[in-house]
Amino acid sequence: MFDYFANPSRFIRIANRLLLPLVILSLSTGVIGLYFGLFVAPADYQQGDTVRIIYIHVPSAWLALFGYVGLGLCGLFYVVWRHPLADIAARAIAPVGAVFALLTLVTGALWGKPMWGAWWVWDARLTSMLILFFFYLGFIALSNGFDRAERGSRPAALLALVGMINVPIVKFSVDWWNTLHQPASLLRSDGPAIDSSMLTPLVLTLIAAHAYFAILVILRMRALLTERRLAALTLRPGGE
Amino acid sequence: MKPFFAQIERDLLIAWQNRQDLGVMLVFFVIIIALFPLAIGANATVLDPLGVPVIWIAALLAILAGFDRLFAQDVRDGWLDQIALSQLGLGWYALAKAISHWLTAGIPLLIMTPLMAMMLNIPSQQWPPLLIALLIGSMGLTLLGVIGAALAEGARRGTALMALLILPLAVPLLIFGTLASQSDRGIISPHLMLLGAVFALLLALAPLVAASALEIGETETGL
Repeated sequence: MFDYFANPSRFIRIANRLLLPLVILSLSTGVIGLYFGLFVAPADYQQGDTVRIIYIHVPSAWLALFGYVGLGLCGLFYVVWRHPLADIAARAIAPVGAVFALLTLVTGALWGKPMWGAWWVWDARLTSMLILFFFYLGFIALSNGFDRAERGSRPAALLALVGMINVPIVKFSVDWWNTLHQPASLLRSDGPAIDSSMLTPLVLTLIAAHAYFAILVILRMRALLTERRLAALTLRPGGE
Repeated sequence: MKPFFAQIERDLLIAWQNRQDLGVMLVFFVIIIALFPLAIGANATVLDPLGVPVIWIAALLAILAGFDRLFAQDVRDGWLDQIALSQLGLGWYALAKAISHWLTAGIPLLIMTPLMAMMLNIPSQQWPPLLIALLIGSMGLTLLGVIGAALAEGARRGTALMALLILPLAVPLLIFGTLASQSDRGIISPHLMLLGAVFALLLALAPLVAASALEIGETETGL
């Protein structure tokens, strides 16, 4: 099955067909979700209107982690099967994930100042997210750190694999350590701990953010594939 | 096992010929430690609790700074190609590199540590947990350095890149190491065991990752 989808031109054909539905999905859920989140959903009884930043903060945090899992899987596919498309996908995901990680940190700081009284605390969740952001930067720097771009693919893939250790640490930091950051509210065994008036817009914005992530990755992969093809066309045989 | 020990012996010999580098590393370690009181001020109530963390930060930076271009010479003069063809294999080669590097950088650093602990006013009953934790921690950091040096080998601006790759990975060693060093529940604290677990993981992982990264470098630069 991987071989079937791993053909670059077939991948682009399928991705192009997916692009329009994804844009429609992302726009519609995003607009509706943000409208309900910002105007219809009630303000939190403790936090007031500041709670509304959750509709940006939580989707960003999910995607930062999700993106890193994607990066690690691409790394695995690249190291084991040496498939160039996995490398392209990883290079496409990394900057997008890094921006989402940064967005998580910034919105978290904006949220933390009125609620905790500090822009930043050295709490396990915050620190591990910061380190995740550094891993993204390390991946980007390493994959582009060589004179010939493809030379960086294998080291970067290995780094992504090693960095996977951090993903469970970020996810479970709020359960393992007693932190200021609240524990998970959505994915828990006894069901979501948020009232449906806030949960519905949150789920909608989560869907919108995931679709948006997919759109960005597809666009970037398309550009990178075109770049590679161009480089291959202009490269004279025998010369570098 | 003979080529393995021959590799270690060769690297130790090279390190001995360049023994000035060892001095540079130790001076670097001492200077980092000396900078903290200068920046924080000589107030003992502020400075004393910082003693153990300061030693850890200095050890981390001093060990990792030594990894600058660990494999560069071997790549340039073709030694790595010979290793790849030989019965030793790149994984064992990376492990041998780690051992020789730890013997020439980690051990002197550990010998230096009691002196630094004295200067930082760390009470002597804290020395055994600090030294044991630093012993395991320095071995773990050395393995991380081997990973970083192998990944960044051949890259532009390799040194800065290596720091960016390795410092986030060093976080678990730093956390468990400083906690184990400050343990008041005897030498074998839970944090020391966690530190040991991280080291064991790295011991299994580092030669494989380094070999995989060097393999591609070896095939590509060999062309």
